[in-house]
Amino acid sequence: MNTAIRIFIGVFLTFATAWIGLVLVPHWQLKDLQSQKDEALGTLNPAPYTGLEADGRRVYIDLGCTYCHTQQVRGGFYNADLERGWGSRRSHPLDYIYDEPQLLGTMRTGPDLANIGVRQPSEEWHHLHFYDPQITSPGSIMPPHRFLYEKRRIQGQPSADALPLTGEFAPEEGYEVVPTYRAKALVAYMKRLDQSYDIVEEGDQ
Amino acid sequence: MTTYYVLVFTVLTFFFGSVIYALHWSVRTGQFSRFQEGAESIFDDEEPIGRLNDCFPDLEPPELPLRKRA
Amino acid sequence: MNAPPIPPEKLPEIRSEIDRSCSMPCLAWFASSMFWLIVGTIFAIIASIKMHNPEFLGDTAWLTFGRVRPAHLNVVAFGWGVPVAFGVLLWLQCRLCRVKMVWPGVILAAVVIWNIGITVGTIAILAGKSLGIEWLEFPTYAAFLLFLSFALVAVWSMMTFAQRRQDHVYVSQWYIFAGLFWFPWLYVTVQVLLILLPVKGVTQAAITWWFGHNALGLWFTPCALAAGYYFIPKVIGRPIYSYYLSLLGFWTLAIFYNWAGIHHLIAGPMPAWLVTTSIVGSMMMIIPVAAVAINHHMTMRGNFKLLKYSPTLRFVVFGAMAYTLTSLQGSLMSLRAYNEPTHFTHHTIGHAHLGLYAFFTMTMFGAMYYIVPRLTGREWASSRLIRIHWWGSAGGIIFMFLVLTIGGFIQGFEMNQASESFESAIDKHGFFGGLKQWFAGFQDRNGAVPFMEIVKGTIPYLIARSVSGVMILVGHLAFLALMVMNIHAWGRKRFGPTLFQRGDKTYTRLMTDELEEAKEA
Repeated sequence: MNTAIRIFIGVFLTFATAWIGLVLVPHWQLKDLQSQKDEALGTLNPAPYTGLEADGRRVYIDLGCTYCHTQQVRGGFYNADLERGWGSRRSHPLDYIYDEPQLLGTMRTGPDLANIGVRQPSEEWHHLHFYDPQITSPGSIMPPHRFLYEKRRIQGQPSADALPLTGEFAPEEGYEVVPTYRAKALVAYMKRLDQSYDIVEEGDQ
Repeated sequence: MTTYYVLVFTVLTFFFGSVIYALHWSVRTGQFSRFQEGAESIFDDEEPIGRLNDCFPDLEPPELPLRKRA
Repeated sequence: MNAPPIPPEKLPEIRSEIDRSCSMPCLAWFASSMFWLIVGTIFAIIASIKMHNPEFLGDTAWLTFGRVRPAHLNVVAFGWGVPVAFGVLLWLQCRLCRVKMVWPGVILAAVVIWNIGITVGTIAILAGKSLGIEWLEFPTYAAFLLFLSFALVAVWSMMTFAQRRQDHVYVSQWYIFAGLFWFPWLYVTVQVLLILLPVKGVTQAAITWWFGHNALGLWFTPCALAAGYYFIPKVIGRPIYSYYLSLLGFWTLAIFYNWAGIHHLIAGPMPAWLVTTSIVGSMMMIIPVAAVAINHHMTMRGNFKLLKYSPTLRFVVFGAMAYTLTSLQGSLMSLRAYNEPTHFTHHTIGHAHLGLYAFFTMTMFGAMYYIVPRLTGREWASSRLIRIHWWGSAGGIIFMFLVLTIGGFIQGFEMNQASESFESAIDKHGFFGGLKQWFAGFQDRNGAVPFMEIVKGTIPYLIARSVSGVMILVGHLAFLALMVMNIHAWGRKRFGPTLFQRGDKTYTRLMTDELEEAKEA
């Protein structure tokens, strides 16, 4: 029986060490990460979110974009994340220090978005793509997000924000489609997704 | 941050305490001995071992050889 | 615990009294879980159709894919999975402790609180108030209600246990206790570390997956294994093959499962030691899985013909086999060479459904087929409906698993290794030649196939998945009909084959006679 006690105390110590090992130790290891200053450009890498970007991130969460898109460029030997041009380097824990909650994602029904701001810097492209993905990416299975846009009658001058919709996607004569605040915020967030800066690891100097 | 450590400490202490108690209890009451008896504990004394206990409503259950209790 | 022994002829009466005392609370859990099962299946089919037909219900934010999908997950996991397990656990606990249900009112209160939590949480997800953490989308107020209800059930279970009249603790009870204590512990920890006092950046990802995977391993798995360890021996009337092995399986699960979660972040922005640790933990899971698989198989050996007769046995044995398959597949999927190509594809979705549906849900169906007639004192009304349920669910999930696994493989290899798309290889060289050519073109880190071609290649598999979803829905509706008929006492009332008649004197005497004969033999 003494053997049994020893064995099972061991079992439970192991059980709790899993908690320490998978939760506490990573926390201690990563909690002190801080943005790095780029001396040449005078920018912070990564930069904290602006108000609009943070709102856009909230829209990204509420529309569940994360269920089809990851935000991580993997290292490793058996995947082609870098070869697909999804990033110039592997993602680093530092890239995510302002993320709350994290949106690393688990599914690539659509492409990775860790560097979408670099790949698609055009606001117009993003708006057209959200309005109806078939405009920019025919054959895509991404759902349209027309509910982020408002169709309204043109009063006087057409709005400067109006989407340049043509052909089958264009609204009726005399109407225009303009982005709501949520659409603008989401696009601001997309443009900000950028992990192209270099990270200086401790000991690299 | 202090809250965080206090919380972690409390949770862990509580957990370890309950675990060691459960362990001590299970050894004391012989949960790790008399395995055959344990395996048969799901049957009441009068339940014959070796009889099908559930059946489609439109089928007759097959006859199975009954077995003795250990 | 020290109650005097009960004379054998009274035992059937006592069993049926226990069943009757469980009737209200357990049926309440079952009824609410059935409701959410149907709701969750409908969400699943909507989400599935949206994947090959994005315009479907595409004009409203409430039903956009990114909300329906988490609504599906939370409704089936927390609306169906947890309550149905509660119902089964409560009944098992009473039966194994040989005591009547105490304070059924507490349990009914827990049912009400739980269902308010699920309703509020699901509406919040559809309204865009999700927290955006996979498995933890419910807002904090809904999560709090769930926790409260869970705590009631856990405390109640302890109370029942304290009054037990059977001094041996059966292996099912070990699993029940483990599930009831691990899960709230996990749930509170992650709520605190992710939502109330959030930790920084990728540490959140580690915690998310530590929880996400443990919810499966330390809640759904113990519940279904508790049911498996009870119903397989109970239905065929043969004790478990090796009781020792069953305890070994339990304790090794406790040691290793906890370590497995971070394999969701292989090659991601994570410290490498953390990921490697999880891979080791995942591989070690082979030990408890083998222990359970050997045990169940040896118990069933020579009795497989009984699957024809007993619905309970059919569902539970199917679940047990799926457990072996899904766990071994899961261990393999944690290896880098397998994980990196397949992890972000439909392959993983197939694996998740094999675990939560083929293993957990099927085992729970089996348990309900045994428990519900004993709660209501009425036999199932229709064998045909049982068979429709069986073929819809088993056929649907096998089909779904196959199409998602194959489709996911192709998707993953096209994304990472293949030099041309699978479809174009087949078009050029015929099926077998094309397959050969396709594999021959593999290279490490090969992003040659355009992304849109990969997307188009998945569509046939996604359509097939919708078909499997409809098959499963048909099965669920058949089961719903059976439940409604049973609770309302519609259909035939018969005595006999289901062998549960409460206080049936003939049956009792028959059994005691048989026992005497067996003893003499």
